[in-house]
Amino acid sequence: MKNAVLALCLSFIVAACASQGQRAEIEQRDLFDQQQAEQQREAARQAEEERQAEILREQEELRRQLEEQQRRQQELAQQQEEQPVIQPITGTGEGETRLATDPWSQLQDDSPDNLLAQRSIYYDFDRYDIKDEYIPLVEAHAKFLMQHPELNVVVQGNCDDRGSREYNLALGQRRAESVKRAMVLLGVNDRQVEAVSFGAEKPVATGTDEESWAKNRRSDIVYLNEPE
Amino acid sequence: MTNTLKSIFTSLLAFALVAASVPARAQLSIEIVGGGASQIPITVLPLAGEERFSQKVSEIVSADLQRSGLFRLGSQGGARPFPSEASEVDYRYWRNEGAQTLVLGRVIEAADGNVEVRFRMLDVGRQSQLLGYAFKVSVPQLRVTAHRIADLIYEKLTGDVGVFATKIAYVVKSGDVFELQVADADGHNPQVVHRYREPIISPQWSPDGTRIAYVSFEQKKPIVYVLNVFDGTRRVVASFEGSNSAPAWSPDGRRLAVTLTKDGGSQIYMMNADGSGLTRLTYSQSIDTEPNFSPDGRHILFTSDRAGSPQIYRARVDGVGEPERVTFEGGYNVTPRHMPDGKAFVYITRTEGRFNVAIQNIASKQVQILTSGRLDQSPTVAPNGKMILYASEISGRGILAAVSSDGRIKQRITAQAGDIREPTWGPLTNNRR
Repeated sequence: MKNAVLALCLSFIVAACASQGQRAEIEQRDLFDQQQAEQQREAARQAEEERQAEILREQEELRRQLEEQQRRQQELAQQQEEQPVIQPITGTGEGETRLATDPWSQLQDDSPDNLLAQRSIYYDFDRYDIKDEYIPLVEAHAKFLMQHPELNVVVQGNCDDRGSREYNLALGQRRAESVKRAMVLLGVNDRQVEAVSFGAEKPVATGTDEESWAKNRRSDIVYLNEPE
Repeated sequence: MTNTLKSIFTSLLAFALVAASVPARAQLSIEIVGGGASQIPITVLPLAGEERFSQKVSEIVSADLQRSGLFRLGSQGGARPFPSEASEVDYRYWRNEGAQTLVLGRVIEAADGNVEVRFRMLDVGRQSQLLGYAFKVSVPQLRVTAHRIADLIYEKLTGDVGVFATKIAYVVKSGDVFELQVADADGHNPQVVHRYREPIISPQWSPDGTRIAYVSFEQKKPIVYVLNVFDGTRRVVASFEGSNSAPAWSPDGRRLAVTLTKDGGSQIYMMNADGSGLTRLTYSQSIDTEPNFSPDGRHILFTSDRAGSPQIYRARVDGVGEPERVTFEGGYNVTPRHMPDGKAFVYITRTEGRFNVAIQNIASKQVQILTSGRLDQSPTVAPNGKMILYASEISGRGILAAVSSDGRIKQRITAQAGDIREPTWGPLTNNRR
């Protein structure tokens, strides 16, 4: 930049001192051309610098996300270790690598620490709030859906068959919607999750006792096109 | 008037239901499990000539009257043959038998293959005629003719409209198969009008008795259909995004209220009976469902959890003003259904873990719990307001039960197989009232 200013000043001096006006004009044009080229180079350099900075920022963001994932996994592993059951040390970490190749194998991995193999959230009578114990399950599916924007789920809300079939249909819709809302809040694309209700019409247990009713008050997360 | 007979040649063809339907395998049987405090004594004699037909008119009349819980059937005595005309009645003999009211008559085969059913009801004490009618019908109509006779007797002796000749509809679940069935009010002559391997809920008769609105899951989500029970044609009336359910007919049969989730949350909408002209009626962040029109068509009762627990609210159909809460006792009050006089409504209430049918007077807010089952649901009121039919269960199996609106008379209705549920009581037929 300094060179350009210097050249510009010089050109004015030259022009003022010149006895032949035509020569001065030519020199001035040459200087202007030089100056323009200089400016273009400068703009290109700035763009390159910004691009480098952007790449750095993206790398930083990716690193942060990775750390967040690792932290979550550690938390989950910790939670599971707290339970009085012997757990294999592998699992989620191993699943992470498999996930890149086949999402279904991770979903269907039936090792006890794989939250993705668990698909049901259970409720108290006439309630639709997600109980604390099911939050890790919803988070695991939300994370998985974020990693796999090509996958879609239907959340099916169900109720026990006491009271009113129509009220239960509406309550089942609420249960499904609450799971969908939680997933969307965690970052899942709204279009990946559909909430539907079966009310009290599709019980998994047909008894008329609390044990059966409790099994029927649930939301099921159903992955579309999941192989058997 | 003493010895005259009124002739009834009305078209009973309206009862020849659903050309497209198929007879159901399971006949319903009704058992009385409670009776009225004071029963009206009545002696029904076999009609001369009825033994030539498979449908014995006097037996159907007796069964109807007895099932209502309001009548006590008297002895038929030992004298033979039974009188079939008023002139043949030995009043002193029947007084000694303890008879107060005597029903007699005959079934006469006409030359054209049809039959004439003649019956009289006599006051034994006064030796006078209370009723006298002659029906000219075809042989398959003998059963419904008997229900009509029972209705006439019921009306004369109780002062209320009889509902023995009405229809009921309900859902039978056998394994994975769901059937929407239509039957006579006594459970006879069940016909399957819709069958599918997905659930059917919330059937509702149209006020003219020609159509049933119901919810089917056959498209893997709840959609509201209207079925014409006479020609078997069916129309989708609500199939919006999300779930579509809880159809309710306006008293003139021209409009439907439905519950939709298309705008997020279960809310109540109004539409024409063909599904056109949709407008939204309720605006809340809560569940609003189970609309039911008042007999004057100006209000609906509905279930809402806007106060935290499901309770019953009343709103104007023109949408003016805020809905008003009408139930306050207990934490779970659902499925409101107006009584035909509009002065009270029945609903399901939860008390001490049981779900029972209750009735509440709208003006006085007085509540009476009518049933004592564990899991009673889906009440539907007879068109005369005297009985309430509802779904119940015995050792895990779905049955229908009925209770009088004063809670005194109780009936249990079971199918031979399968779970029976979601009853809806049809209207008085078009040539009545």
